[in-house]
Amino acid sequence: MIQYIDMHAVLQQSVSSLYTDLVTRPTGRVVRERIEQAIAGLGGAEGAGGAGGAGGAGGPDGAGEMTIARIDFAGVGCIDYSCADEIVAKLLRDRPAVLVLSGISEGHREAIEPVLTGHGLAALIERADGTLDVLGAKGAAAALLDELVARRCAARRPGGTYALTLA
Amino acid sequence: MTRLVEVPAQFDDRSFDQFAGAFAEANKDAERLLFDAHAAEWASPYGLVGLLAAGQAARRGGSAGAADRPLLTAPTNPEVLSYWTRAGFFREAAELFEIHGKVPRAKAAEHSDVLLPVTPVRAAEDVHAVVSKIQQRASAILASELGLDPKATMGFAMALSEACQNIVEHAGTGGWVAVQAYHWRRKLARRVVVIAVADAGVGFRHSLEPTQSKRFGDRWGDAAALEAALVQGVSRFRDPGRGQGLAGIRRYLVRWDGKIAIRSGTARIAIVPKWDEDVPLKDGLPPFPGAQVLIIIPEQGSTEP
Repeated sequence: MIQYIDMHAVLQQSVSSLYTDLVTRPTGRVVRERIEQAIAGLGGAEGAGGAGGAGGAGGPDGAGEMTIARIDFAGVGCIDYSCADEIVAKLLRDRPAVLVLSGISEGHREAIEPVLTGHGLAALIERADGTLDVLGAKGAAAALLDELVARRCAARRPGGTYALTLA
Repeated sequence: MTRLVEVPAQFDDRSFDQFAGAFAEANKDAERLLFDAHAAEWASPYGLVGLLAAGQAARRGGSAGAADRPLLTAPTNPEVLSYWTRAGFFREAAELFEIHGKVPRAKAAEHSDVLLPVTPVRAAEDVHAVVSKIQQRASAILASELGLDPKATMGFAMALSEACQNIVEHAGTGGWVAVQAYHWRRKLARRVVVIAVADAGVGFRHSLEPTQSKRFGDRWGDAAALEAALVQGVSRFRDPGRGQGLAGIRRYLVRWDGKIAIRSGTARIAIVPKWDEDVPLKDGLPPFPGAQVLIIIPEQGSTEP
């Protein structure tokens, strides 16, 4: 299953509908906790919803469930380094999860990439055409893509690009 | 008895040490202080937020009672007075000082080079408000007047956010931020955007002491604390993700040829771009409470001094 997270909706639910920016650690903490609840299936986030069947993506041998969350940044203004660390890095640090970030601007990327690289972590960016790009530490990014392909969650497209195979 | 602290006629980061020296001398005992700004001719955002921090530190008795507040004589020059008012200084100063002199009732500027008037920062909610406001007001100036890529506006907001969070997370008290664009004739003969942040809190040395002092041993002090925070990216928190803020600001400034200087206690550290002649680290300065941050982003293009 891919858990869909509407970051803008989670933000507005977490702080104030007046603000569209992911800034400060306290904000990041609240937003992350709501995403964690959603990933755990508790339905904590208003902007969260599942797609597909129940459970995570199993490995080729049927072992090891993996949580995949598609986080949509559309409508989010700015994200600062503290919030990027508190949300994206900690979501990846604390559990075996794959984060697929969509609706990402260059500004969002500028904040998230160094934070992930600093922790030796990686996430995926899903472009508007569905192709995947990697974000973060090189080694971790290559391993992440390999694992997704091995689990048949992603596949190589003609031209060498990758895309998710799950809805 | 009242002790006098003279506010420099040209009050900016360069004259701040002179001001800090006068403040430290006058603040040695528990006498009431009088900050004399009547002869002020110009003040940068750094000077204005620094003066507020001094007012906060000079409050006696820990209450908001009038007798506990330091005195402030307002500038007599009408243009200076008008600018300090537009910059939002007096709105904040009214709570900290007993002000003497005529102060205009004009509201803080909405459409001018004052991109963000002097604004208090006490909690995360204040940082949200500051970031939201700056993105509405600064993007046009950053792109059209400074020649920054429009995408750089978000980086600017990130840098501002992290600078403000330093107060919320480390100062142990509130502080102020101000952002202004102006033509910097003295140094560059081009336009710059300046972010100034100041507080009168515990400062970097006190904040980092529990986790860092042993590592530095005899070298530990204000300068070592600033070096640890800005150059090494350490934080008082043991969480490995901490210390991202100042590192992120540095990356942004390297990209846009900007400058950051942080003064705390008796030291001052700076990441100095080619166009500036500042020194990277100064120690043994007159003591001043809390931390004061200066960020300068110049108009893009040639920045030969």
